Amino acid sequence: MNCPLEDRNPEMLVAYAAGELDLETARVLEEHLAGCATCRLVAADQTAVWKALDAWDAPSVSPDFDRRLYRRIDEGVRFSWWERITRPFRPMPLRQALPLTASAGLLLMAGLLLQHPGPLAPVAPHSEIVRANQVENTLDDLDLLRQFGAADSAESVHPDAM
Amino acid sequence: MGAAAATLDYDAELMLRVKEGDGTSFGVLLEKHRASVIHFVYRLVQEQAVAEELAQEVFLRVYRSRSSYEPTAKFKTWLFRIATHLALNWLRDERHERGQERLDDVSADLPVRQVSDRRPSVEQRLVYEVKLEEVRRAVAALPEKQRAAVLMHKYEDMEYTQIAKALGCSESAIKSLLFRAYETLRARLAHMGRT
Repeated sequence: MNCPLEDRNPEMLVAYAAGELDLETARVLEEHLAGCATCRLVAADQTAVWKALDAWDAPSVSPDFDRRLYRRIDEGVRFSWWERITRPFRPMPLRQALPLTASAGLLLMAGLLLQHPGPLAPVAPHSEIVRANQVENTLDDLDLLRQFGAADSAESVHPDAM
Repeated sequence: MGAAAATLDYDAELMLRVKEGDGTSFGVLLEKHRASVIHFVYRLVQEQAVAEELAQEVFLRVYRSRSSYEPTAKFKTWLFRIATHLALNWLRDERHERGQERLDDVSADLPVRQVSDRRPSVEQRLVYEVKLEEVRRAVAALPEKQRAAVLMHKYEDMEYTQIAKALGCSESAIKSLLFRAYETLRARLAHMGRT
């Protein structure tokens, strides 16, 4: 067997320490290790690391892990419609989100204006009403002036008659 | 599902059932992978509460993406890809918040005595704690990808192909990445396991 280190196959020594090699490959490697001090040292150290890592137990899982998870899933289902609306905007950078938001706002306003053209249209009837009133007032004023005129002319006759 | 289904692993089949609306299959997947995901994330971030929170997020994402799930890789590979992504993101944010806090290597030079495991005493317990702390620090000091690769290789029995897919690397890149990682660990931890 070629030396795994010289043969650019050092992973073989890691696999050996991890017990991943099949029996035949392991046997051949052990024959090599017997005559190669460098590989022997790497294999021994790797086995030692493997043992040291064995000592690291992870703590046990909290008993309410599943309950918390299913509650979050339920909440997610309840609010999924909101997520669906907001998700496309969330990871978007500000420089992309701003023009999009502005465009959406403009489109919304345009839509509203087209659907309810009210604010501009009522001006016309309103001005007509004002104009009718004005005409009415003007006619009243003219009537009044005419009455004043009549009174004036009567008064002007009357002194002469006196 | 056709011919592709024949080569699917059982977990992927369960996930496809989840996709079709079978909540029980999700429960089976959760039961099967809960501990390994939490433990993997725990060893990456080394905080139990954070590990559980991130693991919740992993399973939430699995559930939420059920409708778009396609069994292109082994389910476990996909699961650990999500877990690695979330844990490494958390580590980056955390490191950023802590202002690039560096891990001290104070315990690396502590003497380690060989003790028998037959009768655990207070002294043995203390020695064990010191050794454990040393292991934790050595793993935490590895670059992120090396750390994730070592944890998947050592504790999750994942093959090189699976680790490569989970980390988005080629298989050969993972082999050399793992060797470099173990090289670092050998320099720091080999003295602990020698008999």
